[in-house]
Amino acid sequence: MNDKARILVVDDEPQLTRVLRTGLKSRGYDVRAAADGLAGFETFSDWHPDLVITDLAMPNMDGLELCRRLRAISQVPIIILSAKGEEKIKVEALDVGADDFVTKPFGIDELLARVRASLRRANAQPTNETTQRVLESGDFHVDLESRHVMVRGREIRLTPKEFDLLTYFINHSEKVLTHHTLLAAIWGGDYVEQDQYLRVFVGNLRKKLETNPASPRYILTEPWVGYRFSPNE
Amino acid sequence: MQQCWIGHQLPYNKRVERNLVNLRWAGYVGAVLGTATVTALLAPFHEQINSTTVALAFLLVVLFVALFWGSRPALLASGLGVFSLNFFFLPPLYTLSIAHPQNWVALTAFFTTALAVGQLSARAKRRAEEAEAGKREIERLYQELQAVFERASQAEALRQSEKLKSALLDAVTHDLRTPLTSIKASITTLIDEARGRTEEDQPVALDTESRLEMLEVIDEESDRLNRFIGGLIDLARIEAGELHLRRRWGAVDEIISTALTRAEPFTQTHEVEVKIEPELPVVRVDERAVSEVVYTLVDNAAKYSPDGTKIHISAQRSDDGMIMMAVEDKGKGIEPDLRERVFDKFFRATRDGDISTHQPSGTGMGLAIAKGIVEAHDGKIWIESGTAGKGTRVVFTLPIGDEEVGEGLKTPRP
Repeated sequence: MNDKARILVVDDEPQLTRVLRTGLKSRGYDVRAAADGLAGFETFSDWHPDLVITDLAMPNMDGLELCRRLRAISQVPIIILSAKGEEKIKVEALDVGADDFVTKPFGIDELLARVRASLRRANAQPTNETTQRVLESGDFHVDLESRHVMVRGREIRLTPKEFDLLTYFINHSEKVLTHHTLLAAIWGGDYVEQDQYLRVFVGNLRKKLETNPASPRYILTEPWVGYRFSPNE
Repeated sequence: MQQCWIGHQLPYNKRVERNLVNLRWAGYVGAVLGTATVTALLAPFHEQINSTTVALAFLLVVLFVALFWGSRPALLASGLGVFSLNFFFLPPLYTLSIAHPQNWVALTAFFTTALAVGQLSARAKRRAEEAEAGKREIERLYQELQAVFERASQAEALRQSEKLKSALLDAVTHDLRTPLTSIKASITTLIDEARGRTEEDQPVALDTESRLEMLEVIDEESDRLNRFIGGLIDLARIEAGELHLRRRWGAVDEIISTALTRAEPFTQTHEVEVKIEPELPVVRVDERAVSEVVYTLVDNAAKYSPDGTKIHISAQRSDDGMIMMAVEDKGKGIEPDLRERVFDKFFRATRDGDISTHQPSGTGMGLAIAKGIVEAHDGKIWIESGTAGKGTRVVFTLPIGDEEVGEGLKTPRP
């Protein structure tokens, strides 16, 4: 964050954009608002914000389509504002590349926490991921060549699939990953409906990584959606 | 097991058989009796009647037997007819011999005709029976089909009503949650500031103006929630038929001016023009409710037409003796196919009808409530294009109430 991080808020509800603009500005962010997906996309193209917060149900262009269009041209972090009853479209938005979601009505703290995590992740993203030999993140130290994994200074043994899953998690820390996304990334497109595979492997990983697998701190469950990985206990 | 099955089957078979036997016996008995009767009736007059008439009478018997009992009894009737004709009517009488060769020809012709009549009429009877059976089968199938359709349409209606219910629930929860979201975000921002929390080195800097803005949002959104809940209650009352109208004699211009005063905060950016026909009779209505209708229409007109344009309100007597009021704006207008639907509860042309606009949309209840109020007064409400086909004109009519009293009292005009 060289100077003020720029946040674009897209929502058709003027009162909410008013509150978010004021609330986010008071935390030192530079904020602009748009009333629908189309206007949001235009503002994005002109202004290049560091983060986009968008509602799902909007006239002209909805949040899902906005996520799709933004992902086609940019890796900007996207946070979705969703309501109960919009789960299906929320998961779709995450599948097409949104990073996180907040459920309405929300406290400003919750939103700010997601904003900080998303910005942190975006800033920390290594540009030369492919040439990297070692992954260092929070409590994790992973040697990608020798496939050695250290957690809290202790070496653990992982099967090849568990190793793939963990490195994927570490590379996408703090981001909500849907079941669909994880299955497609680790097992390939044919397995995207096989939620039980994922559940078994996440269970095994937790047993090996977590201090208390019953209340996990690293691999967090996002009910009905997927998982979120946090590299710090 | 097998024994039991046979035992079960036997009575049925027997019953069918007995029916057949009865039927067959009846046919043969009918053939004998019919021929005997004709013989008995005609034999005494054999000298007066010519043999062709007798032959025709026997043919008649064959025909009836064939129609009632089928071809075999008809065959018997034919045989008996030949015998009787020969024995009792053709000379020499009371012998089976025949004197004239022409009578041989007559007898053969009779027998052939009798056989043909018997066979043909029996066949016709069978056809008729088959057709009857076919008709019954078709009727049965039709009834079955009808029952199936009925069940299917009931299920469909149920599903539609469930779908509608869930769509309404979605609309209601959305409208309740939206103001709540703004309220919660504002309040948590203010709470954070009050606590002076600086999580992750982020200073909270709310100036007086921002603080006031948060409080304003909370205030406005609470009002919005309250309005929405009030609307829900009105709608529920209208739907339950419990809109208790307090009808009193009231002046149309007062009703309109009350509504305009209430709507003033929204109409300041528009030019409001009121035209009330002079000498308009007083009306027996619930003034508050009708004023609410006018307010809703004026509010909508202001909301969905550009600033600086004209909103025209008029009241006059219609041709059928009702009071007709109209509110017209110079906005985008409403597509003809949406003009009925905008009166549906929770329908919003700006959102559901895909009219692109950045104007804030309402609750989707105003027009539904207005329609409920107008119809409770036995009036009508509809939408048409504005003057010169531009903008929207919402018109509603109200019966004056009691005609005699209505004529007697004129609107007092200042």
